[in-house]
Amino acid sequence: MSETTTARVVAPVARPAARRVPGRGRHKPAGPLAYVGLVAASAFAVLPLLWAVSTSLKSKGAVLSDGGWVPAAPTLQNYATVLFDSQVPRYLLNSIVVAGGSVALTIVLALLGAYATARFQFRGRDASLFLILMTSMIPGIAILVPLYFLAVRTGLYDTYLGMIVVYTAWQVPTVLWMLRGFLQSIPASLEEAGRIDGAGDLRIMVQLVLPLAKPGIAAASVVAFVAVWNDFLIASTMVSSDHKRLVSVGLYNYLSQYGIEWGQLTAAVVVTVVPMILLFVLMEKRIVSGLSAGATKG
Amino acid sequence: MTMSLTTPPTAPPPSRAPRPPATVPATRRRSLRSSRLPLALLAPAVALVALVSVFPILFALNLSVHETRYTQVGDLVGLQHYLSVLGTAQGWAMIGRSMVYVVGSLVLALPLAVGLAHLLDRPARLRRVFRVLILMPWVISQTVAALLWRWLLNPDYGPLGLGSLGGQRVDVLADPVLAMVALVLVNVWLSYPLATILVLAALQGVPAELHEAAEVDGATAFRRFRSVTLPMIAPTVFVVAIMLTLLYFNMVTLVLTFTGGGPFSATQLVSLEAYQQSFSYFNLGLGAAYSVILFVFNVVFGLAYIRMLRGDRDV
Repeated sequence: MSETTTARVVAPVARPAARRVPGRGRHKPAGPLAYVGLVAASAFAVLPLLWAVSTSLKSKGAVLSDGGWVPAAPTLQNYATVLFDSQVPRYLLNSIVVAGGSVALTIVLALLGAYATARFQFRGRDASLFLILMTSMIPGIAILVPLYFLAVRTGLYDTYLGMIVVYTAWQVPTVLWMLRGFLQSIPASLEEAGRIDGAGDLRIMVQLVLPLAKPGIAAASVVAFVAVWNDFLIASTMVSSDHKRLVSVGLYNYLSQYGIEWGQLTAAVVVTVVPMILLFVLMEKRIVSGLSAGATKG
Repeated sequence: MTMSLTTPPTAPPPSRAPRPPATVPATRRRSLRSSRLPLALLAPAVALVALVSVFPILFALNLSVHETRYTQVGDLVGLQHYLSVLGTAQGWAMIGRSMVYVVGSLVLALPLAVGLAHLLDRPARLRRVFRVLILMPWVISQTVAALLWRWLLNPDYGPLGLGSLGGQRVDVLADPVLAMVALVLVNVWLSYPLATILVLAALQGVPAELHEAAEVDGATAFRRFRSVTLPMIAPTVFVVAIMLTLLYFNMVTLVLTFTGGGPFSATQLVSLEAYQQSFSYFNLGLGAAYSVILFVFNVVFGLAYIRMLRGDRDV
């Protein structure tokens, strides 16, 4: 639904479900050549970010005269301006509210749907799954104009709720497919046992399935959060007032509003990117393992 | 047994004593109730997706065959908008540029993702640090990536010495060919991390025994990767390829913020044109036609994906 269609059609397939036995590496440790590759790739990945950090620590004059990676006279002036004299903190807050709300709603809807389609045979199941999968092929740009009209007509234009609804619809297909794969990798025997003990379907879902699905839910949440946080098209179409603007759009407007003042702009970029990097560093391990477990079934 | 059939799903069973072996009623109960409960669980997701995706694409289809004047929908013009794209050299040039962009990005990003996933899967000192650093561009938005790279590639103030590269001033974004190369490069920078994460996740599902067996048989590291690992992760790699293809075809934000389609339309892609016709020039009908053309491209690739998934399940 946006060009960030990224993970919508994920549900990666790989089999069999054999887990790696801890402590028994399958590979020999990396050789010197591998380290060259790792270092080169790391440099490629972080160079643009490092240059931004370097620029953000330079004064207005030094940005154009001091071409070094390490600022000769570092200053925090740009950060002070961004944090205390700009709308950037407000944009950050908006993004947290909208991305958080969208992810929460997405997980609820997708988990219910994933559970229904992973555990039950029923008429309309395959058709529904096909429909949901097909919508991941709709380009975001194709439905922006209709969504704008729809939002204006329903009064959801320029509201947090409007964005949350659209983002949720955008993320539900991917997350549903991811969670469905994850649920299928959990043996149904536990639920059968619960059922024999007379537990109702809802109780089985909440008390037995939910705890087991947590790693998958965590990984899917992060993937969806990143996608929503980084979206530009929907955020720029669905909102007009400045105080409801999301970070991605806010940054872009910041650019055109003040002309290109690289010191301030890079400081703003660093401020908005740091929360995401923190989230990523904290969740990195879980993302890979959560996706891995879900990857065992298509 | 009849009692248990009429019990509401959430209520605890009244008494289990008089029941014969519980499996029979349990399965029966399940099949009876299953017609309504799963539908109810799935309904909200389907309804939302239908409202926010299916209805708008129908709306867009309708727009694409009408004359539009700003937000007013006028006369039916049939396929006129489509003809103005598919019947002109400029239209096909644009589709060609989109192809160059998609294929160029794909042949770089996919092998990079598989290779890096392989490297990051091996035990190495500082593996976590490498993982975090290498996968970091994943959390960067297209807008920010465009800004960062524009600043990095700046010929006058950038750190790469592009102002006097071999005595020449290289302004990447002012050169039609270099601009496309740079656009592909930035796109790869943005999109390889998620692909790497997915391949990495698939790699962790490859059983260790297979590798050990191959090693005992004396297979070289390359041979082991080609004959053991690659076939196991092939379905994931294929899905990732489709995912990236769709992402690249539909990409607007990066192109808009990095090159804006320039210089001299050298990076004017179908997706960007669809956006600009709708939001810059307010030719909603023509813009819709462009996005429907994109949609058709997506469906062709998407169907390949579904067929592959289906075929895979039969194995």
